[in-house]
Amino acid sequence: MSDVTLYHWEPNANSGKPMLALMEKGVPFNSHYLDLLNFDQHKPDYLAINPQGTIPAMRHGNRVLTESTAIMEYVDEAFTGPPLMPEHPRDQWRVRWWMKFMDQWLGPSFSMIGWNVFVGPAVRTKDPDELKAAIERIPLPERRTAWRKAIYGLFSEDELKESQRRVAEGIRMLEAALGKREWLASDRYSLADINGFNLGYALPLSQPKLSNDELTPNILRWLRAIYARPMTKACWAMGRTPMVKRVAILEQQYIGREKVT
Amino acid sequence: MTVYHGEPNGPSFTVLAALFETGLDAALVHIDLAKAQRHSLACAQQAEVAMSVEGEGPVVVVDGEGMTDSVFIACYLDGVSEGKLRPKDPYARWEMMTWCRQLIERTAPAAAHLGLSAHPPIGDAGMLAKIGSVDLRARWHDAAAGLNAEDRLADSKMKIAQAVNKIEAQLDGREWLMGEFSIADLESYAWLAGMVELLPSAFAERPRTADWMHRVRLRPAVAKTLSLARMAAPAAYWAPGPEINRWG
Repeated sequence: MSDVTLYHWEPNANSGKPMLALMEKGVPFNSHYLDLLNFDQHKPDYLAINPQGTIPAMRHGNRVLTESTAIMEYVDEAFTGPPLMPEHPRDQWRVRWWMKFMDQWLGPSFSMIGWNVFVGPAVRTKDPDELKAAIERIPLPERRTAWRKAIYGLFSEDELKESQRRVAEGIRMLEAALGKREWLASDRYSLADINGFNLGYALPLSQPKLSNDELTPNILRWLRAIYARPMTKACWAMGRTPMVKRVAILEQQYIGREKVT
Repeated sequence: MTVYHGEPNGPSFTVLAALFETGLDAALVHIDLAKAQRHSLACAQQAEVAMSVEGEGPVVVVDGEGMTDSVFIACYLDGVSEGKLRPKDPYARWEMMTWCRQLIERTAPAAAHLGLSAHPPIGDAGMLAKIGSVDLRARWHDAAAGLNAEDRLADSKMKIAQAVNKIEAQLDGREWLMGEFSIADLESYAWLAGMVELLPSAFAERPRTADWMHRVRLRPAVAKTLSLARMAAPAAYWAPGPEINRWG
């Protein structure tokens, strides 16, 4: 029995980051699945572990850690196993820069679109009173606002347009960076790649007009290289929803512009 | 190594103080961040400079590569020196990085908003046209037009008060935020120093915070940082910072 327990949802966005980091590092962990669409993360059992009600959280011994990117850095430093940070401090700076860019600028735009088309409609079918009560249980005011918008479809046209603009700009930046280097932030596989894969694994499906082998060959090369790693396959096999099964798009050897509708 | 910095407030404070704490050698070049002069640097169009989430902050150039985002620059400076600005233990390091992350995400945008509201920058069209990031340019336009929306100001004030409460609680029995002095002290001071005058109520009856700010100023590296000021009150110097969270 491992002394590490990870409280997580799907191998996707924030939950997938420490999942994949732990697996790449070869650290066995107890998986505690929380169903985000059933609001498990706002129930008393979990709030006793992470009072902020955000996913993921990791217990190591009797300590609880939150914030997925900071958890990944901890995992890399606290356990033996292949290093997931480059050695040189300037490369490390680049890893952190890209993780922050994805966590705070690009990721929220992806997730606004994702919540609008996936999470919102998936939970909207529940009993209205139950949903109202579920929203009221959310500890952080910002998360309460976010869930209200997703559940009731309240994202404005301007907000969605701005998110789409950022997604297009972010894709352009990723393509340029991956044209310069084999991996996102340095010449070795790092936490930045784990972070980026969680954000973009289904990119050729979710943004077919912006990302495919014709327009963004470097992004596709990169996504396929990460998907080819045994731990990525093992991690994504832990997923339960159709959302994460979309990763299979990366098994296609060529995704052209015209084949995608 | 060349450090392009503004007045010693906000992110320029963090980077200069971290540099002096490490004792590393660097050429210092003063630029006026509040006049968007960063966007005329040779490295201005590099993605990591143009699209820095921090907004208008200092740039450290090594081998032609521009580095931005003060906490990560400070980590770099720590990494290439003796490593005295970060704890060694992985859990203590996680605490420091998480502390800084929450500060960057919640406190810094609020501080920049209040700072700019009180000290609006001049939005010269020719100057702003050089800014590569569409949303940073929009923040400049908003700040130059005047940030007066009551709900935003109230939200920002609340976040500053929360940050001070958190610091006051954290300092119970401690000299520095993480126990040992670290980047967390520099980054926290950097964003809050200018709030004392703008939002005195947040600092009222917070003796541990007041003592801690005093201790920060007594550090030789910080005194040297503040001595670089060209304005009488550098804590009143603001340029558009990180954006306030777009949604939850």
